[in-house]
Amino acid sequence: MKHPARWITIAVAVVVAVIGIVLATQVGTDPTADTRSSPLLGKAAPQFSVRTLDGARVTNTTLAGKAVIVNFWNTWCTPCREEHDALSIFYARHANEPDFAMVGIVRDDTARAVGSYQKRTPDPWAIALDPSSAASLAFGTRGQPETYAISPDGLVAGAQIGPATVESLDRMLDAARRIPQ
Amino acid sequence: MNVVARHRRTLTWVALLALVAGVLVYVAASGGSDTPATRARDLSAELRCPDCESLSVLDSHTQSARAIRADILRRVEAGESDEEVRQFYVDTYGESILLSPEGGGLGVLVWGVPVIAVLLGGAGLVLALRRWQRQPRLHASGEDEALVERALADRATPEEPDGE
Repeated sequence: MKHPARWITIAVAVVVAVIGIVLATQVGTDPTADTRSSPLLGKAAPQFSVRTLDGARVTNTTLAGKAVIVNFWNTWCTPCREEHDALSIFYARHANEPDFAMVGIVRDDTARAVGSYQKRTPDPWAIALDPSSAASLAFGTRGQPETYAISPDGLVAGAQIGPATVESLDRMLDAARRIPQ
Repeated sequence: MNVVARHRRTLTWVALLALVAGVLVYVAASGGSDTPATRARDLSAELRCPDCESLSVLDSHTQSARAIRADILRRVEAGESDEEVRQFYVDTYGESILLSPEGGGLGVLVWGVPVIAVLLGGAGLVLALRRWQRQPRLHASGEDEALVERALADRATPEEPDGE
């Protein structure tokens, strides 16, 4: 090879240029963006089975055919308390709709803390415990609050990472109902 | 003795190759006999704890991390391969659950650039060494030697006092 030093210089320049182009195209993209969304969107909802505070079992099967809002929360989480009013208003609006269900799954908390919290401020929707974190794990939760909408045929139609609002809950419920059965 | 001396270099290479082959066989054999607990532990070290900043599932004590460790062990014991377990977590949490970048997409760049940099650096070093070897050796000419002798003689002769 004639002038090897020249070839090495060209190769280094090409590598630097490729890195530059890749970095330039990545500017503005966030490598942790997938932590603010859910890869489950559009896929079949994960299988889960939780028991409510009054002992009833809630599973994919018991909720089949309904548009379902699943809210992960706990008693010590401040954003969960902040979104609580929105959940109450949203639930009151839809509670009488026969194709609607809402379940609050407790994430990373004790049954005792949840029990006394619910005694003080009881929620009209189903509150379920997840002592083995199996449901939290199945939904790929990274914290709380997180809210998911499941369509009547069992697809994940919406995901809200962080506190939900009445508007975001309505949007998710609409999306769940729009998926054709 | 003469035969050994003559083939000393060959024998050294054969011994080195045997050593490398032995190490490779040992590593391969020990990798294959991993227990489910060891495999689950290794996989836990590869995954990011979902509700911590930069801790692995293995190092974290959150409830999620404990649940994931138990889930990984259950999957391994149920016969899932390491790749299947990893894929489940990527499907559930996204790519960011992996502490190390994957080998595809941008991950290729992350793994490939250091290798290319080392190869280019090595090539440059070899080139530079060859160039230095090619430099002609310098020998003092008769003129140079005479110059040095004159300088030494000048230093040996004491300086004469100025005009007195």
